[in-house]
Amino acid sequence: MTAPQVQVQAPLLQLNGITKVLKGQEEPRTILSGVDLTVHPGQSVAILGRSGSGKSTLLSLIGLFDRADEGQYFLHGNDITKLPERRAAALRSAEFGFVFQRFFLLKHLTAAQNVAMALVNGQGWSARRKRKQQVMDALEQVGIAHLAKSKPSRLSGGEQQRVAIARALVRQPRVILADEPTGALDTETGNLVVEVLLNTTRQGCGLVLVTHDHDHARKMGRVLELRDGRFN
Amino acid sequence: MLSGKFRSALVIGGQGIRARKLRTFLSMVSLFLGVLAVVTVQAGAEIAERAMLTDVELQSGKDGTMMGYIPGEKGAPGIVEATLKGRADAVAMISSKAVIGEPGVRPINEGGMPFEYANRGGDYSGPSVYCDAGGVCQEQKPQEKKPDGQAIEVSMVALTGDIRPFKPFRPVSGNWLDFGSAPSLAPRIVLNEEAAKGLRMYRVPGEMMIEGATHHVSPQIIGVVQDGYGQPRVYLRLDELRTWMPAPAATSELDRFRGGGTGLEVYLQPGSDDLQQLLKAKLVGAGIEQNNLHFRVVNSKERMESQLKIMRLIFLGMAFLVLLIGVAGILNVGLATVGERVEEFALRRAVGMSRMLLAGIVLAETLLTGLLTAALAIGAGAAGLQVALMMFGSRFPSLQGTTFPWEAGVAGVIAGLLAGVLGGLIPAIRAARIPIATVMRA
Ligand SMILES: Nc1ncnc2c1ncn2[C@@H]1O[C@H](COP(=O)(O)OP(=O)(O)OP(=O)(O)O)[C@@H](O)[C@H]1O
Ligand SMILES: [Mg+2]
Repeated sequence: MTAPQVQVQAPLLQLNGITKVLKGQEEPRTILSGVDLTVHPGQSVAILGRSGSGKSTLLSLIGLFDRADEGQYFLHGNDITKLPERRAAALRSAEFGFVFQRFFLLKHLTAAQNVAMALVNGQGWSARRKRKQQVMDALEQVGIAHLAKSKPSRLSGGEQQRVAIARALVRQPRVILADEPTGALDTETGNLVVEVLLNTTRQGCGLVLVTHDHDHARKMGRVLELRDGRFN
Repeated sequence: MLSGKFRSALVIGGQGIRARKLRTFLSMVSLFLGVLAVVTVQAGAEIAERAMLTDVELQSGKDGTMMGYIPGEKGAPGIVEATLKGRADAVAMISSKAVIGEPGVRPINEGGMPFEYANRGGDYSGPSVYCDAGGVCQEQKPQEKKPDGQAIEVSMVALTGDIRPFKPFRPVSGNWLDFGSAPSLAPRIVLNEEAAKGLRMYRVPGEMMIEGATHHVSPQIIGVVQDGYGQPRVYLRLDELRTWMPAPAATSELDRFRGGGTGLEVYLQPGSDDLQQLLKAKLVGAGIEQNNLHFRVVNSKERMESQLKIMRLIFLGMAFLVLLIGVAGILNVGLATVGERVEEFALRRAVGMSRMLLAGIVLAETLLTGLLTAALAIGAGAAGLQVALMMFGSRFPSLQGTTFPWEAGVAGVIAGLLAGVLGGLIPAIRAARIPIATVMRA
């Protein structure tokens, strides 16, 4: 989904008054109430907040895993608030890259195959050779091209997370959404991973980083704190 | 776009099966038995039906044949013979009794019974009573007893033409009667298996005495056929019989009561109604009562099928139950696998896979498993049939030349596909319903 030429200055993504109410067995609980967020190309945003404050919920709304109950969502200036699931899947593939606290590598696949997973998802098909090149480029970008043929069980935590980041980068997304990507890593490895993520913004990628680590947050262009369902 | 989806499904399905070889194998085991059961039932029913049909055709004639029973009285044999002359679409069988062997003795199988029962009944020496149709009964004097001797009694069937288009006799040895050549002076006869057995067992002299004939003849035996009858029978050309016996004896009421005398059967091809009408008119004209002419169309297949149907339904029901167990096996393994792969599936959707494709992949894996299993089961069924035929084929002649019926193969593939769909559908729906946000909460 490319923006029309007249809207050159349109933000990468823009959320207005996003509200999410959890309807469980108990009475409905409002997780997010009126969140506003704008991210421009090349910008990085850190989101802080207590456990249970709704950070992951917000990220899953941005990443089109789930839908908001109220509010509006623009991507490149296009309203995608009420997008059918099929189009949402296409957008997840083309626009977003995801990194999670747990790395979620498939243990029966090699590092390269794990990265290729984001290419073999039914959203278009490129020739084997081109795919291989894309995978190697992504692994190169996070500095572990030499581990392409290793299974996850033979990689360290930091290496595994970098494979996961390569998987997020391989389709050259416009936005990286990272949910506590350093949560399972030691400080030094964590710093490395944050550096890798920040590098992507230099090529015009947007970055939304959810973290508990204030040192990491400070490296981002903006720091927001989620409290009582909104930023203040 | 479509080919991208298809290729993705292939790649991912292949990776999934390779990563879970043992599990795939285990889910195949029970399904294999289920599909094998379906294939076996189907093949068994097809083969049984074919075997039964050929046996039934031997005895009662091919389906659609118009068959008539005519009493052999008041010159009926002559009328029938004259009417059918030169007609290729109808054949008459005129049967009477004959004794082969020593003249003037009591045959070993008196009454023309199968040799298995010969000499077992003992003598019945009490009075015998015969009642006619009017209800008037009279005692019969016991027949004067002939001395036992080396002779067998057979039904002698004279044919006006080749009967095999109506009754597919199977050759056992030698030749069948040749209706094209000029009649021979010594009648050429073809035996059925029971008659051949009698001749072989009792080494009777090669003379034949025919009821109503005045002198003996020495027939030439030219072949043996399987005709579906348990009693000894010999077949010959009616015109050859004529050369030394002007007309078959008329049957008396009493002879018919005893099961002897002359019987007349006419076989007409479908669509020869005019011939049937003509024959009836002539016979009635000769003084035979209309009520004694019985014509009917052979529909043995239909009758047999209704019998087979019930049997097949019962077995198919059982096979279906076994198949259900197979489905349960796939379903069980499929659900466990989905449970195990929740994160993988959520992750795949997070990186852009659509819900439909994800469900399609899960379904494709079970479908592939089902098809592969069906192929194995069909192969096993076909191989088993070959082995069984090799071992028991000689004991059941009607099974000779049997091949694996394609219907069984089709049934197997359908069963495999059905099991794949049934066993994979619920896991596929479950997989599609996994919320993507699972990847953030694990
Ligand atoms: N599927 C769900 N069912 C029930 N409650 C849920 C569900 N998803 C989220 N919640 C609730 O929503 C609230 C916000 O959850 P969320 O995961 O967004 O918090 P978070 O800020 O990411 O916390 P953490 O820092 O611990 O990851 C929590 O109270 C959680 O219990
Ligand atoms: Mg969280």
